[in-house]
Amino acid sequence: MAKVEQGYISTPEEEEFELRAHIGSVWSGGRLFIGMYTFLLASLAYTYFYLRSSNSGNLWRPNHMTAPMSFGWGIVLATALAAVLAVYGQWRFRRGGVADWQVAGWTALALLLGALMLQIWELTKLPFYPGASGYASSFIGWGVFNIATLIVSAYWVETTLARGMRLRTEIGGDRPTLSTHPSAQSFRANVASMTYFMGFVGVGAAFFFALFYLI
Amino acid sequence: MTISAERPVATSGGATTTTERVSWTQRPGIWSQHLGTAIVGAIVGYLLGHWLGNAIASSYPYVQNSGQNVIAVTLGEIFGVAGWLLGIGALNYPLAKLTGRQPAKEVDVQGWSKYFRYSTNHKTVGLQYVVGVLLFLFTGGLLAMAIRTELLNPTTHYFSADTYIKIVSEHGTVMMMMATSIVVGPLGNYLVPLMIGSRRMAFPRIEAFSFWVFTAGYMVIFSALPLGGFPTGWTGYAPLQTQAGPGMIGYLFGFAVIGMGMMAAGFNMAVTIINYRAPGMTWSRVPILVWSLLATSALLTLATPTLFAAGVFGLLDKTAQTAFYVNEHGGSAYLWQNLFWFFGHPEVYIMALPGFGIVGEILPVFTRKPLFAYKVGAAGMIGVALLSFFVWQHHLYQSGINPDMRPLFMLTTELISIPTGFIYLVGMGTLYKAKIRFEIPMLFALALYFNFLIGGVTGVFLSDVPVNVTVHGGFFVLSHFHYTIMGGLLFAFMGGLYYWLPKMTGRMLNKKIGLWHFWTMFVFFNLTFFPMFIIGLLGQPRRVFTYAKNLQGLNDFSSVSAFLLGFSFLIFAFNMVYSLWINPQKAPANPWDSRGLEWQTANPVPSYNFERIPVVLSDPYRYSEPGAPAVADLGDAGLVHAAPQD
Ligand code: HEM
Repeated sequence: MAKVEQGYISTPEEEEFELRAHIGSVWSGGRLFIGMYTFLLASLAYTYFYLRSSNSGNLWRPNHMTAPMSFGWGIVLATALAAVLAVYGQWRFRRGGVADWQVAGWTALALLLGALMLQIWELTKLPFYPGASGYASSFIGWGVFNIATLIVSAYWVETTLARGMRLRTEIGGDRPTLSTHPSAQSFRANVASMTYFMGFVGVGAAFFFALFYLI
Repeated sequence: MTISAERPVATSGGATTTTERVSWTQRPGIWSQHLGTAIVGAIVGYLLGHWLGNAIASSYPYVQNSGQNVIAVTLGEIFGVAGWLLGIGALNYPLAKLTGRQPAKEVDVQGWSKYFRYSTNHKTVGLQYVVGVLLFLFTGGLLAMAIRTELLNPTTHYFSADTYIKIVSEHGTVMMMMATSIVVGPLGNYLVPLMIGSRRMAFPRIEAFSFWVFTAGYMVIFSALPLGGFPTGWTGYAPLQTQAGPGMIGYLFGFAVIGMGMMAAGFNMAVTIINYRAPGMTWSRVPILVWSLLATSALLTLATPTLFAAGVFGLLDKTAQTAFYVNEHGGSAYLWQNLFWFFGHPEVYIMALPGFGIVGEILPVFTRKPLFAYKVGAAGMIGVALLSFFVWQHHLYQSGINPDMRPLFMLTTELISIPTGFIYLVGMGTLYKAKIRFEIPMLFALALYFNFLIGGVTGVFLSDVPVNVTVHGGFFVLSHFHYTIMGGLLFAFMGGLYYWLPKMTGRMLNKKIGLWHFWTMFVFFNLTFFPMFIIGLLGQPRRVFTYAKNLQGLNDFSSVSAFLLGFSFLIFAFNMVYSLWINPQKAPANPWDSRGLEWQTANPVPSYNFERIPVVLSDPYRYSEPGAPAVADLGDAGLVHAAPQD
């Protein structure tokens, strides 16, 4: 984080201050992002319960119409497993297992992309049309939100992994888990925030799976 | 960690002369990205999306039956916005990140061209926002003039009933969009780092993104007009929303796009305030404007996702034929109302709090008194922000909510007037027995208190179910919210511009013209909107292009005043042009003798804000206090060290 830009000079203390502020930003930004995403998904959950309880024209869910179970299980398992792998990866990362973290990360990425593919495919295979009922509409809403969530998660996981690969050369071959280099410190904060988000995504996927497929 | 007052000697070298990659958005000449490439991107994107939509959906039965391909319009809008962002360079770094790269080097482009680029300098973004929100304001204002022209006469019409409602809808929506960003964008981005002693915002790319998305939102919402407009008013209620033509896409997608900008701006602001406060800038020393922006950011980040979701559902209803808001297919028109107002009421405070933050900065400077009950003011802002999530159903009193819910929401709504009252009293306490300097910023601040009293008291009436049942949907409500938003926020914003533009531009705004601006705006604002309370009580409904003959006198009075009010904005525009270009007068470093940290940096503000990160020593409001310490130690940079004392 050397700040020798635009004609100003930082003292070491200032560099340290800015680094702390930056790491704090990654940390609090990650949590705030989860907060924002919670409100987004909560709007969908609200919609689900609102339409369910108002049951306009008895059309909340005629004949208990349900989206294809096999797709549902596939998507939720892939997403939840990706979340577990992200959490496991970070646990290993903290203990210095960079290679483990990378393997877990790339696998999680593959699972997320798999879930994404399944989600898109599922939307083409629904046994109901979008405006068939309150349930059908909410389900399409979930489909769209889930696609967005999976893309965001996959992007965050991929960019973190890619950064991790370049980082090693940037910090002179040190281990990013131990290095005190500012880039490594910033990287670790990002890994932590990404992992939190993945955990959140896993819980969200399970919650909406229960709403749309199980109850 | 703290930065010791004895400054260590700088260790790093001088200005950079590296040969690193320079971002495409910063390169000189035509081989770079700027407004021109953004426009090309938007046009190409729109055409591509539209073509794709036609290729996909022109054979769909509902498209053929209606003769309107909303899918083509929606895809056109989506691709158009993507092209705009791609063209300006907003996606360069997110795409490069996929390969694990660090951002390319940002150099500060000098000269005018920086304002037409994807700048990551918070001061450039702040000034870009000033122009952006004024553009919104002036175009929205022109639509207001059209409304008042139509209401000159109940029987002679300039517009058809259909065109009238579309003008009203566009006016309301544009103004509301503008008002969400009017302080956070320009003043927030420019001033917050200076006020908290930081050299930067936390996420400069997100800050730039928020501005360029905001401008995209402007184009999307105006695209509604050539698409036939939308008839729903700014509230977009279903089932009218569902029945409306393609112009409705402009509204729904416009709110979603503007919503992204609001979320980005609020996110960046909150994270910056939390993390980048200089050493010594404890929470009890944080300027009141910063407190207000923190509370606003909480609302922007947490309430706006609901608006975004509501917009997406609306778009799905129109394009994918879902039925979120269609009662006949298992949806509910009330769902829109709930989602919209769950955002919409916090939105009211998104618009109110920053206004109070601005006047909270202005009053102590022009009364030379500390801000009265500062902590109560800050707590009031947080209180308002929290409570604002629990009041939304008061907008549905008339919509058929369960009547048992009404007392609950009446209670929460009346409760919120308590912290709002505290915030108001902070101003009154500061003014108490004060020797006031009647400079233009102060006049605007005083006008806010006058206007907001009327707007606020009528709001307490409206929170009451019996009154609400009587005046709902009429000009009384209309007048109430113009008094709070325009009379509150807009007056505060104008005061803020007169107060801080000398810092932002290095030029003083002309005082004489400023006085003309203030007095015409204040007088004609009241003459325009006060009669509307009476018109409302006499029964004139909103959004209707005609009215009872006996109300013509009052309406004409209001319309003529509105034209003069419009003229006051021209005076303001003239003042800007005159003072900034025709006859520029260099602003002194601290023209108002403020203790605020933002005034202690050099003028013009260097791109890095502070030569040394300041060590904050006291709060900025200790005016007339013998022996009060300087507000900050600015190090050995040869800048203004101690704030002026009385
Ligand atoms: C010159 C200044 C202005 C004038 C003369 C003006 C006038 C009006 C009038 C007459 C209407 C109601 C028309 C009707 O319902 O038939 C209206 C609606 C509205 N105005 Fe303004 N206005 C001005 C500025 C503003 C500002 C600054 C804002 C917000 C920041 C604003 C927000 C709104 C909104 C939200 C509506 C409601 C639209 C709807 O019914 O959906 N206006 N305005």
